[in-house]
Amino acid sequence: MSSLSLRNISVSFGGVAALSDVSLAVAPAEIRGIIGPNGAGKTTLINVVCGLARPDRGSVELNGRTVTGMKPSAIAALGLRRTFQTSSLFGGLTVLENMVTGQHLSTRPRFLATCLAARAVREEERETVERSRRALDFVGMAGFADRLGRELSFGQQRLVEIARALVGEPNTLLMDEPAVGLSLVRLADVDRLLRRIRDERGIAILLVEHVIRLVMEVSDKITVLSSGSVIAEGAPAEVRSDKGVIEAYLGKGYHARGQ
Amino acid sequence: MMRGGKIAVRLLGPGPIGLLCFFAMLLLPLVANPYLLFVGTQLSIFVILAVGLNILVGYCGQLAFSQAAIFGIGAYGAGLLKVHLGWSFLLSVPAGAALACAVGTLIALPALRLYGLYLALATLAFAQFTQWVFLNWERVTFGAGGFRLSRPAFPYFTAGTGTFYIALFVAAILVILAARIIRSRFGRAIIAIRDGEVAAESLGIDLLRYKALAFGLSALYAGVAGGINAMTLGFVAPETYDLFLAVLLKAMIVLGGLGSIAGSVLGAGIVLILLELLRAFKSAQEIVFGAILLSCVLFAPSGLAGYLSTRLDSWRERYVRAFSPLQAGAARDAAEASSSASPVSGNA
Amino acid sequence: MLTYLLLGGLTSGALYALVALGIVLVYKATGTINFAHGEFLMISGFLAYSLYVFAGLPYLISILGAVLLAFLLGAIAERIAFRPLMHANMVSLVLATVGVSFILKGSGRMLWGGRGDYLAFPPLLPPNPIIIGEIILVPQQLVVLAGAMIVMVAFALFFRLTRIGKTMQATADNPKAARLVGIRVEQVHMLAFGVGAAIAGAAAALMAPITLLYPDIGFSLFIKGFAAAVLGGLNSMAGALLGGFLIGVIESLAGGYIATSFLEVSAFIVIMFTLIFKPRGLLGLNAVRRA
Repeated sequence: MSSLSLRNISVSFGGVAALSDVSLAVAPAEIRGIIGPNGAGKTTLINVVCGLARPDRGSVELNGRTVTGMKPSAIAALGLRRTFQTSSLFGGLTVLENMVTGQHLSTRPRFLATCLAARAVREEERETVERSRRALDFVGMAGFADRLGRELSFGQQRLVEIARALVGEPNTLLMDEPAVGLSLVRLADVDRLLRRIRDERGIAILLVEHVIRLVMEVSDKITVLSSGSVIAEGAPAEVRSDKGVIEAYLGKGYHARGQ
Repeated sequence: MMRGGKIAVRLLGPGPIGLLCFFAMLLLPLVANPYLLFVGTQLSIFVILAVGLNILVGYCGQLAFSQAAIFGIGAYGAGLLKVHLGWSFLLSVPAGAALACAVGTLIALPALRLYGLYLALATLAFAQFTQWVFLNWERVTFGAGGFRLSRPAFPYFTAGTGTFYIALFVAAILVILAARIIRSRFGRAIIAIRDGEVAAESLGIDLLRYKALAFGLSALYAGVAGGINAMTLGFVAPETYDLFLAVLLKAMIVLGGLGSIAGSVLGAGIVLILLELLRAFKSAQEIVFGAILLSCVLFAPSGLAGYLSTRLDSWRERYVRAFSPLQAGAARDAAEASSSASPVSGNA
Repeated sequence: MLTYLLLGGLTSGALYALVALGIVLVYKATGTINFAHGEFLMISGFLAYSLYVFAGLPYLISILGAVLLAFLLGAIAERIAFRPLMHANMVSLVLATVGVSFILKGSGRMLWGGRGDYLAFPPLLPPNPIIIGEIILVPQQLVVLAGAMIVMVAFALFFRLTRIGKTMQATADNPKAARLVGIRVEQVHMLAFGVGAAIAGAAAALMAPITLLYPDIGFSLFIKGFAAAVLGGLNSMAGALLGGFLIGVIESLAGGYIATSFLEVSAFIVIMFTLIFKPRGLLGLNAVRRA
């Protein structure tokens, strides 16, 4: 059973079709790259999956369960997490507090107990902090717990965001251009990280990316979007030499030199 | 920092200072004339209002101008139940607060679709609408002239002293409650909503539920304050709950520091003092508070509490209670960044 | 009765339309709503009064003086309360303009009268009503309508045809691009604030002879102007005008047929309903979600 499956998704905004009849399925422990020229509909795709955009037609299934039209917070409760193109760390909270917020769904309301600062609440917080520590360790940001979100550099924020998404123990992860603005060194970090997430945790990853180098290296399979439709799908090597894909990126009349 | 210095920092923290003020207030009736007692009661009421508003504006980021109107609903609710149905204050004040809370929560529904500017103006319109109801639904609310209430009777205390103590204790409880709530899962959720709604949603935080809770909680505070206000004044009239009060409340939380409970208490105090000093000149009041609002926003956006937190570590707000082994590593890093790190500990 | 109400509604509607126009202009050019807008109106109304009644200057000069002052106030407000906060968050911006509004209101109250003092501006034309068939007109109403029309047309021409007007439009549509082609965005903002305030000043001048001036009138008109702007669609200037007239008429009809107390509240109800059910307004383009 696939972790994530989209069937015939179509979305249009004000008469313009952002996605037309897009279908794909991502298996558990698979890294699926999504590439395509600008305006292809990649971000719309992510927004549809996580619930921020409602498709006009089609359905989204998470682990066999239909989630089309559900609220983003409800879909998150089913094990979906995403990262964003622009920084989405909570600037006014420290890294640790960000991580604890990421475990919102793993903790329970306990209103009265909180007011009385009961022991159960303190225990739970200790565990939450422990889990935060482990997640920060995983991405290599263990020393930054006490820093405010907005004090971190862009690359650092990226890593913490990934940790925050992971700390809720998701089964599916959507990543919206995680490599944007990162240096080569960081790129290698992200590459390693993605593989570890897939291998150690069995998470299905949908990776929307512009940085072709990263996508080609790390994806198990790639889906290519252009003007809202899927124009190719397959292993990185196949996709790279697909004529349709080259045309989409470089226009007709480009002759691949040797490759 | 020297050990003695560290202790001094702790002593100057919001907790110890708050405790000191509380005890000072406990003794106030022994030395004060009735007017000063009245001002003291006003202080407690303002504190409740400011802290409640800060939960909504400072922590949840919802710029609502409806607090003064809801304060009025609490007052009218408590007063009218007493006058029309003969209920005692013991029943009518909580009932008024419940009504205020219900109305406040309902406002959250349209608030889900409105942001920033539009929320501000919609809540402003709502506040004006409420004012209009107070003025024009004469059969129930007695119109522009308002109505009188009998003061509550207390054994051993005068009405003035009795209401002073009630206000003081309620304020103390509500402030501590607010501090606890902010450091809970709920607090982190509403802060997340403030700092990044979309990201908060992606982590499973239900926007409707938490915004409604924030609006409702803030309205509950305002409603309780309203009932106590009715009790204190012995009189309820529309003009008490007007736009000027709404701006005063904003000035309190901005001056004190948006997103700081202790700051709101400070802000309430300072605004009250200024209000008393300028009592004779309404126009001067308007200019002064307008100027305070403007200058704080321009020059000191994090308010007093923000300033104090840069000087005294004990004023820094933390939202996670448990001590973390991460602190050792964090201290190393923080030392580089030349800010002092200290153990995360309960700062209720 | 109906025609009487309609006429009254159109007259006040013309004023609301002018106020709304100023609000929408500033919104389009800067992306923000100036809460002090009503106070510009109030202060210029008072100044016109002082110039006309105390200084004895001719009517037109007083009006011009008031409009000029309003322009200056607007420009100053932009410089101190908006520009420094241009990149700050919405909460700060709103609170800053609220602060300015109260500073102005308090100043107005201090200079021209305390609570309960209402100033009566002497009318331009004798108040004898003109009767045409069934319609009863007060001459000043005609002045208001005519004056408002002149202002609206003049403004439309300015915005559409002059270079400055087009610059403002460009900046409103795309500030980044505007900067790239060399438009001084800050100056355009200041101009927008100034012109918006000047329109409010003109409205005050037109309105002064038929209503009483008092310090709290600014906020009252601001809310109505905002209701009109929202109803018409916050980024549509034509919408502002339409909205203004609609609010005036709705208000007048409600006041006449339901109860006089409804004069005040119609605007609030319109604001709440529009924002909840049709946030785009009647002629507006973008949704106001996540603005």
